Amino acid sequence: MLGDIITPDLFASAFRMATPLALAAIGGTICERSGVVNIALEGIMLVGAFAGVAVTLAFGSPWLGVVAAVLAGVAIAAIHAFTSINLRSDQVVSGTAINILALGLTGFLMEIMYGHPGTTEAIITIKPVFRFATERGSGTFFGVIWNWFNTIVLSHTPIVYGAIIIAVVAQWAMYNTRWGLHLRALGEHPRAVDTVGVSVVRGRWIAVLMSGALAGLAGANLTLEQVGSFTENMTNGRGFIALAANIFGRWTPVGSYSASLLFGFFDALQIKLQIFRGEINIPPQFFLMMPYVLTVVVLAGVVGRAVGPAAVGKPYKKG
Amino acid sequence: MPLLELREITKAFPGVLANDRVSMKLDKGEIVALLGENGAGKSTLMNVVYGLLTADDGEILVDEKHVKIKSPRHAIDLGIGMVHQHFMLVEPLTVTENIVLGREPGRFGVIDFATARQRVREISDRYSLKVDPDAKIIDLSVGMQQRVEILKALYQGARVLILDEPTAVLTPQEVTELFRVVRSLVDEGLSAVFITHKLEEVIAIADRILVMRDGAVVGETTPSATDEIGLARMMVGRDVVLSVEKGVSQCGDVVLSVNDVHIEDDRSLEAVKGVSFAICGGEILAIAGVDGNGQRELVESIVGLRRPTRGTIELKGNDITRANARASIEAGVSHIPEDRQRRGLVLEFNIAENIILGDHREPPAADHGIMHPKAIAELARKRIADYDIRTPSERVLADSLSGGNQQKVVVAREIGRNPELLVAAQPTRGLDVGAIEFVHTQIIRERDSGKAVLLVTFELEEVLSLADRILVIYEGRIVKEFAVADADAETLGYFMTGGGGSKLAEEQESKPVESSVAGGDK
Repeated sequence: MLGDIITPDLFASAFRMATPLALAAIGGTICERSGVVNIALEGIMLVGAFAGVAVTLAFGSPWLGVVAAVLAGVAIAAIHAFTSINLRSDQVVSGTAINILALGLTGFLMEIMYGHPGTTEAIITIKPVFRFATERGSGTFFGVIWNWFNTIVLSHTPIVYGAIIIAVVAQWAMYNTRWGLHLRALGEHPRAVDTVGVSVVRGRWIAVLMSGALAGLAGANLTLEQVGSFTENMTNGRGFIALAANIFGRWTPVGSYSASLLFGFFDALQIKLQIFRGEINIPPQFFLMMPYVLTVVVLAGVVGRAVGPAAVGKPYKKG
Repeated sequence: MPLLELREITKAFPGVLANDRVSMKLDKGEIVALLGENGAGKSTLMNVVYGLLTADDGEILVDEKHVKIKSPRHAIDLGIGMVHQHFMLVEPLTVTENIVLGREPGRFGVIDFATARQRVREISDRYSLKVDPDAKIIDLSVGMQQRVEILKALYQGARVLILDEPTAVLTPQEVTELFRVVRSLVDEGLSAVFITHKLEEVIAIADRILVMRDGAVVGETTPSATDEIGLARMMVGRDVVLSVEKGVSQCGDVVLSVNDVHIEDDRSLEAVKGVSFAICGGEILAIAGVDGNGQRELVESIVGLRRPTRGTIELKGNDITRANARASIEAGVSHIPEDRQRRGLVLEFNIAENIILGDHREPPAADHGIMHPKAIAELARKRIADYDIRTPSERVLADSLSGGNQQKVVVAREIGRNPELLVAAQPTRGLDVGAIEFVHTQIIRERDSGKAVLLVTFELEEVLSLADRILVIYEGRIVKEFAVADADAETLGYFMTGGGGSKLAEEQESKPVESSVAGGDK
């Protein structure tokens, strides 16, 4: 039975499950490094997911849907940026408001655009990048290796690869570019950044908008590459798990991706185990619970105390 | 030809005129000291020069050209650099990253760290300011961090270096080193503005001294033309008693008796290893020691913030060993904590609320759980008058007071409660001469009214001028006891740094000193 559970498909599924988490988590990393808490990732992801489906249904192109999802994410993030940077309101309150707004807005738009709540019509999903034969001489050793490699590495859709590339590029940029240095300084000591003549407001706006774009892209991955339709509240807490992944990954892009992969693996395992639940005699809710339990364990600091940017969550006032 | 000239700079904040037509000149290769009490407007003036604040009126000239400095960036471009009192350094980043921040070498947004490191090395070699370019700020000592701040200003091309209270956080050795550095920078052709309220420093470092009071320049002099007493008079506007006058201690009954207490610190290591002493009414007992020798834990256990693992503490015969802070206050212990901003005050509360903290359950502030705002305001106004707290009203937030006035609020609350025992930890840290004089006078008044005072400080001056009796604490043990007449700074310093040796400490342990209350009166 173990051989039925530990299959190449399980690991491939882990990468797929990790992708929306990772994109949102990297967004959270960038945002928090700049000193702004973004618990609105959940809502932004949901709006991105909806916008992607709506535009795909209207124009028939999922790629246009991806663009729409990113732009929608940026637009919602702009609300968060304005309230928390310019108005200096409490960032957790602002984020919570956006999450509630996103839930209501997508439900409302479903009603007026499609005339019913629940789930939209199915759309044409984005296909995997590569398509190689799944079985290639499975009897031989190299055949087995090839099948594993093909399934785990080569079976994915563009955004799944995109997330890995984004993680690596963001990591490099954070430690090698002017943008990255300013970002790391912003969340620790914004006044120090201000006194050398770099704009805190501008730096934080850019970071918040980037997190919006990434969370929107996460939503696009969810609907346009995985599910193929939009369902109300379909993000189902992924934005919050992404925040946990960001902490687990110690506020670094690659760390966030790796942590998301772990969460993704548990999610994939959970699905797999449900199939075999008759044989192992454990209620399915137990498996459903696993990613969330892991989140709580991470946030409780069991994996070692993680210290975030010193000035995160604190509005900056000049002078 | 003046490098920097300010003409009639005026800056008002709601309710205060922080700078009232202030003019000054700074020549090339000159060190000008800006001397004044906290709140005299020194920092405001320099923040205007550095572009952090905009003046309401007045002119700034750099190289004899009129400029309107709109931002720090603009000030930097004009060659003005500032070393802030609270460092503008990003702790998790490296020395190099901090120095080049905002002006990173490189192309297409990619930082050329090799060049950056090279430039940092060049500047640090040229001005012999040695520092590891790859060290993280958080791992550096405060003195080294300040050096990084100076390097940052130099990297940005500063010709004028503004140093805002640069010695406030330094050890005496670091101060000497800083003076050497500033001197050598000026020899290289830079100019410096040195903001401070410490008299001996301006005499040691300045070429010219500008004294500010209540937002205006009240005098200009040179170190050779004046002395500390003259400067203090200019700064405060009246004669200041730099040494405290006090009569002979009239020792009464024992108020506090500490018997063989052992106390653990936050890491559960034994910080106080068997200390015994007693204080009588009408006596000031000073515990002198270098920071971190167990005095914090000792103070906390006396005021009910920490429980000793062994031993007893008695106040007028009542056991308060296990008292919490509330019980301790009710038993008659008052506490001026060493960190007024974190422990002495709730900065987000107003003065009236801060003044009743700890007494907020009792009449007149409250009874049966209901607060009486009128009575509280009345009490606060009385304290404000009695303790000369400079504020427009009792509803002003503690946060917006100057350090000296914040400390007066703490002193007003703790002494106003009329305690049996006053525990004062670093009561004058960071205060200017006027405020120090005030706090010292209050402490002596407590003693003269027959109360017991426990003074914990590492300022030797303070120990010698206030105490009747001195205990030296070293590594959690009392290593030496002096009557104040027998003590001098050198001997105290010797014992404070372990000069008595562990041998002495061991003797102490095997034969606990019968704490001689009698030692107090002489």
